[in-house]
Amino acid sequence: MNTMNRLRHIAAAAWLATGMACAADPTRTADGFAIPQPGRAFEFPRDHGSHPDFKIEWWYVTGHLESEGGRRFGFQATFFRNAGPVPNPAAPTNAFGHAPIHLAHVALLDTKTGRFFHQSRINRAGWDADAARDTLAVRNGNWSLRLADARSGRMELSGNIAGDASFRLALAPTKPLVVFGTNGVSRKGADPAAASHYLTFPRLEARGTVVVGTEPTAVTGLAWMDHEIGSSQLDAGQAGWDWACIQLDDGRDLMAYRMRRSDGTTDAHSTLAWIARDGGVRHFGPSEFGWEARGHWTSPATGARYPNHVRVRAPGVDGAPAAEFFLSPLAEAQELTDPLGGVAYWEGACRVLDASGKPVGRAYLELAGYVGGLAERFK
Amino acid sequence: MNRALHGLLLRRFALRHWRAAPRQTALLVAVLALGIAVYFSIRLANRAAVASFRNFAELLAEESDWIVSAPAGLLPESVLSEIRGALGDRAVDLVPVLESTAALPRAAGGDDAIGARATFHLLGVDLVGVQNAAARRGGGRAWFGQTNATAAGTARGFWDVFRDPRAVFVPARLALREGLRVGGELRLLVNERVVALNVAGIIPSAPGQPAPPDTLLVMDLPALQSLTGRHGRIDRVEVRVEAGPGRDALRAETRDILARTGGDRWLVGSPGDRRAAGEVMTRAFRLNLTILSLIALLVGLYLVFQALDGAVVRRREEIGILRSLGVEERAIRAAWWAEAAALGLAGGVLGSLLGWAGAQFSVRFVGRTVNALYYATSAQSAALSLPELLGAVGLSVSAALVAGWLPAREAARTPPAQILSRHAVHEPGRGPWSRAWFGAALAGTGILLAFAPPLRFDGGLRVPAAGYAAALLWILGGGVLTGGALAGIARLLAPLGKRSAPWRLALAALRRPSGRHRLAAAGLLCAIAMTAGMAILVASFDRTMRGWIERTFQADLYLASDGAQSASAQNRIDPSTWRAIAADPAVADWNVLQVADVTVSGMRTLLVGAELGFTRRHTPLAWRDAPGDDGVFDPARNAGSAFVSEAFTERFRMRRGDAIDVPTPTGKRRLRIAGVFSDYGNERGSIVVERRHFAEWFGDELGSSLVLFLKPGHADEAVRADLARRYPGLRVLTNAHLRREVLRIFSQTFAITYALELIGVVVAVAGLGLTLASVLLERRGDLTTLRALGMARGEMARAAAAEGAVVALAGTAGGLGVSAALGWLLIHVINRQTFGWTLQYGFPAAGLAALAGLVVATGTTVAYGVGRWGAALPADREE
Repeated sequence: MNTMNRLRHIAAAAWLATGMACAADPTRTADGFAIPQPGRAFEFPRDHGSHPDFKIEWWYVTGHLESEGGRRFGFQATFFRNAGPVPNPAAPTNAFGHAPIHLAHVALLDTKTGRFFHQSRINRAGWDADAARDTLAVRNGNWSLRLADARSGRMELSGNIAGDASFRLALAPTKPLVVFGTNGVSRKGADPAAASHYLTFPRLEARGTVVVGTEPTAVTGLAWMDHEIGSSQLDAGQAGWDWACIQLDDGRDLMAYRMRRSDGTTDAHSTLAWIARDGGVRHFGPSEFGWEARGHWTSPATGARYPNHVRVRAPGVDGAPAAEFFLSPLAEAQELTDPLGGVAYWEGACRVLDASGKPVGRAYLELAGYVGGLAERFK
Repeated sequence: MNRALHGLLLRRFALRHWRAAPRQTALLVAVLALGIAVYFSIRLANRAAVASFRNFAELLAEESDWIVSAPAGLLPESVLSEIRGALGDRAVDLVPVLESTAALPRAAGGDDAIGARATFHLLGVDLVGVQNAAARRGGGRAWFGQTNATAAGTARGFWDVFRDPRAVFVPARLALREGLRVGGELRLLVNERVVALNVAGIIPSAPGQPAPPDTLLVMDLPALQSLTGRHGRIDRVEVRVEAGPGRDALRAETRDILARTGGDRWLVGSPGDRRAAGEVMTRAFRLNLTILSLIALLVGLYLVFQALDGAVVRRREEIGILRSLGVEERAIRAAWWAEAAALGLAGGVLGSLLGWAGAQFSVRFVGRTVNALYYATSAQSAALSLPELLGAVGLSVSAALVAGWLPAREAARTPPAQILSRHAVHEPGRGPWSRAWFGAALAGTGILLAFAPPLRFDGGLRVPAAGYAAALLWILGGGVLTGGALAGIARLLAPLGKRSAPWRLALAALRRPSGRHRLAAAGLLCAIAMTAGMAILVASFDRTMRGWIERTFQADLYLASDGAQSASAQNRIDPSTWRAIAADPAVADWNVLQVADVTVSGMRTLLVGAELGFTRRHTPLAWRDAPGDDGVFDPARNAGSAFVSEAFTERFRMRRGDAIDVPTPTGKRRLRIAGVFSDYGNERGSIVVERRHFAEWFGDELGSSLVLFLKPGHADEAVRADLARRYPGLRVLTNAHLRREVLRIFSQTFAITYALELIGVVVAVAGLGLTLASVLLERRGDLTTLRALGMARGEMARAAAAEGAVVALAGTAGGLGVSAALGWLLIHVINRQTFGWTLQYGFPAAGLAALAGLVVATGTTVAYGVGRWGAALPADREE
C-alpha cells in the first residue's frame, strides 16, 4: 500500500465519488471497475502483469546496493497505471481518449556524495508507456521492469534520472512471493471497496550497474518489490501514510504501515506483518504494534516536516520476543518533489538499528501526505 | 603622416565642401540611403517570412535533438514503440507531433479572396507526454484547470481535457481578440467542415520561449488525429536526448540507431534541417528579390562616383597646393576614401532606418507571396536584426568606397601645385571605358556567359550566377556603347542647332561629351534596362500564364476546403463529402486530387494523385513532352507510370522515360516518367500518379481539391450557389472566378518587383539632374561668359533641358535595347534555371513606351530646373 497516497491524489475526486456508491454491485465500483474479492486464485506470471479490470495498479521496487569498494546506493522505481475516471458510466470506455495514464517515479541515492536524484514521468498507455497483461512487462518511456525468466522469477529493471544517473539491475527472488491481507485482499479502510490485492517479493537479490555521471559502478544488493491492484482504496478522512519495509540481517522481514486520519489518530486498518525466513506471514493490527516518530526533517523545497526517524515496536512471533527497531535515514534529503502535479513525499533508504543501537538490517521508509494542497489540477 | 593631419584634411576637404553645398550632399546621401533602404527592407521582410516557418512544437517542449519524419505523407504512430524498442533503455524522450491547418469560418460579407484570412496552425501534441518537458523546466506549466478570471468560465481539469475530443488551447491574444473564454466555443474550419471546438485554456507561455503566435492552436494529439481524419498517423517524432554528462555520445548514438532502424521508411534530421527547409523552399525567390533590391543601389553608385569625381575636378587646385605643401599621395587618397566612407556611413544609417520602416510594408507583400506559393507564414511585421543592420551599413560604406576608388586615385595623382584649368585634363571614365570596342567586348563576354549552366547547390537550389554576370556585363557594356553614341547623336541633331541657340549650346557640349554625360546616360540605361527587362519577364509570364490557364482551367467548378488559405494548408476534403458531390445529378465528370509531400533524392517535392484518364478526356495538362502510350491512362496498367511537371525535370535533371523512386507509407515505388507537362504553380516540381494507386499507397482518400464538369442545362453559378450553401466549409469557385483568382495571386506576387524597379528609375532620373548640376558647375566660367554675352536665363535653362533630354533619350533608348536582351536572359536563362519554367516571350510595348516617355520627359524637366539654377550661379562661388 506504500504509494497509494499519490494515486489517491491523481484521481481523488473519482475515488471519493465511486468508493461510496458501490452498493448496487459489491464486486464493481460505480464506474464499473472491479473490487478486489477474497479467494482470488492468482496465476503467474499472468498476475504479475496488468489488470485493466481494476482502475489503478502499481509496481514498486526499492533496494539497497553496494559496490565492491563499499559505496552504497539506495534506489526506487515505481510504475503506476491509472485508468482515470469514466465521465459517463452509462456509456463507458471505448469512447475517445480512454487510454490509461502511466506515471512513474525513479530515484537514486548516492551515499558517497549524499546526492539524491529523482525524476517523475507521465505518459499515455500505448504511446510511450505500456503494461503487458500476460506477464510482468511495464514500461514508461525508457524506464522498464520486466520478468526475464518466469521459472526463476528473475526480473530486469532499468531507470535513469535525466542524464545524471541510471541503473540497470537483475532482481532474483530469494524468498517466495507473499500475498498480504486476508484471503488475498488487503483492506485499507472501512469502505469494502477500499482494498487491494497486495503481492510482494520481500527479498530480491539485486545485481547490476549504477552509473552516476558517466562512471559505471558494479553493484550487488537486496531489493523489495510490491505489486498492488485495486480500484478504490481510500476512505474519506484519511490524511496520509507512514509505511516501511524492513529487511533484517537474520533473514526475516517486516512490512508496516500506519494510516493517519485527518484528526491525527491512527486508522484501524493500519497493519504490521512479519515475514518469516520461509515466507510465512503474520498480520497484526494497530493495537499490537507501535510506530513513533523520533526525529524530523523539514524540506527546504516544500516546507513539509517529515518524521523520518522512526521507532517501530513489533510484536514477538514464533517464540521470539517483541522487538524495537530504529529506522535512521542514510540521508535526510530523500524527498520526491513531483513537478508533474502530484504530491511530494519522502521515500528513503534507512539503516535499521536495534534497541542497543546495533545495525540489524535495512529499510525503505515512505512518508506521504505531509504536503498540503492536494493535486486538484490532476482531478 | 599623423592622425591630426588626417582629421584636418577631412575637415578642410570634405566638411567644408559639404557645408558649402548642403543640398547636393543631402541628395547624394539620400540616393545612397534610398538604395540601402530598398535593399534593407527586402532583407528584413525575407527574414521575417522565413522566421515564421518554425517548429511550433518547440514552443511547448525543448528543442529536439533529432526529428524523425516520413519521406512521404505521414508516419504511422506505431513507429513510436518501434523507435522506443530500438533505443532500449537509453535516456531519450520521444514527442510525437501532428500538424494541420485551419481557418476561421468566413464571416458574412467577409473578404472572399484566397489568402485573405489567416491560416491557423493546429498543433497536435500528446498533452500527457508534454507534461514531462514542462516538469523538467521546473513545472509551472498550468495546462489544466484554467479558469477565466473575467468571465465565468468552467475549469477544464486533467481528465476533462483528455476525454474531450474537441478540447483546444488557444493563444492569449487570440482569446482576447475573439472574446474566447475557458469552456467557451471556437468555431473553426477544419478540413472542409466547420467544427465547434471547446476552449480548454490558454496555451501556457514558457519562460525563455517566445510567446506562441496568434495563429497557433494546440490540441491533444489523438483528438487532432480524429478531428482531421488522420487516424493513427503523425507528422513526426521529435527526439530529445536527456541532458547529462554523456549527452554528446548518446546523441550521436541515437542518430545512428534511428537511421539504422528506419532504413528508408523514415528520415532523421535535426531541427536545423527543418528550419532550413523553409529557407530552402523560398531561397530562389528570396535571392531574386534581394538581387532586384540592389538595383537602386547599383544606379546610386553611378551617382556617387559622379559626385566624387566631380569633386576631384573642382578641388584640384586645393589638392595641388596640399601636395606642394608636402602632403603625401597616401594622405590625399586616405582623405578621399574617408569622405566616401562617411557618405556611405550616413547613407547606410539613414537607409537602414528608412528600410526598417519600409520593411513593415514590404513584409506584407513578401509574406503574401510566400503564403500563396510556399507555406503559411504569419509574418506581419519585420523585426530589426543587428547582423542585417551591420550588413546594410557595411554594404553602403563598401559601395561608396568602390564608387570613390577611381576618384581617390585621381585625386592622389594630382601633381604638386599644378595650376590648371578646371576641365582641361580630367575626364572620368576614360581609358577603355570610353571606347566602343570595350563596350562590345563586355557585351560579347556576356553573351558567352548567358549559355553557361547554373550553379547547383543542396536541396535542388540552382543559382544562375553566369546569367546574372551576363546581365551585369550587358548593362555595363550597353552603358559604354551608349556613352560613346552621345557624340553621334549630337551630330545627327546638328540641324536643330542651326535655328536655336540653346540647342546649339547643348549640342556643342554633347559633341564632346564629358565622362559625366556618359555616366549619366549609363546610369539611366542601367535603371531602364532592368526595369524594362523585368517588365518583359512579367509580360511573358502573364502571357504564358493566360495561355496555360486557358488550357488548364476548363472545368465548370473547382472545390477546395475554404480553410486552404495558403500553399501549405493541410485542409482536405473528406471522402464522404467529395463522393457525395461527385454523385450529384448535375455532375457530368469529375476528378479529385490528393496530394502529399514526398522526399525524392533528398529534395522535397509534391506527389499528386488524380484520375489520369480525366487528363485525356479534358486535356487540362499542357504537354511539353506528351505521353506516347495510351496505357498510362488506364488504371489497370499505369501503377508504374507518372507525369511530372517541367519544374520537376529541371530540378531533378530527369526527362521522359527516366525512373523515379518515390517513397510512400507502404514502401518505395518505382515510377517511369511517361509525360512532362507545364505547371506554373509550383517550382518544387510535381509528380502526378493515378489516384487509385495513390490512395492505396497512402491509406487514405482525403482530397485536396475537386474538379467538376456539369451536365448541359446546369448553370455553373446555380450549382455553385447550391453547393456553397450545402457545404459551408467548401470554397466553390466557378471557372471564371478561379481564373481571376489565379491571375490576382500571380500579379500580387509581382507587385513588389515593380515597386523595386520604379525606385531604381527614380534614382536614375535624380541622377540625371545631379549630373547636369555637376556639369554646369564645372562649366560655370562658360556660363558667366554666356550671361555676359547677353544670354537669358531661360535660354540657358532650355540649353540644359536639351542637353538633359538628349542624355535621357540616349540612356532610355540604350536601356530599352539592353532590356530586350535582358528579358530574353531572364526568361530563357535565369528564370528557367532557377524555377524550371519555360515562358513565351511577351513584349509590353505600350508599357515600355510609357515608361520611356515618362523618363525622357521627367529627365528634361529636371534638366530644365537644373539649368535655371545653373544660370543663376555666381561666377566665383565655390561649388
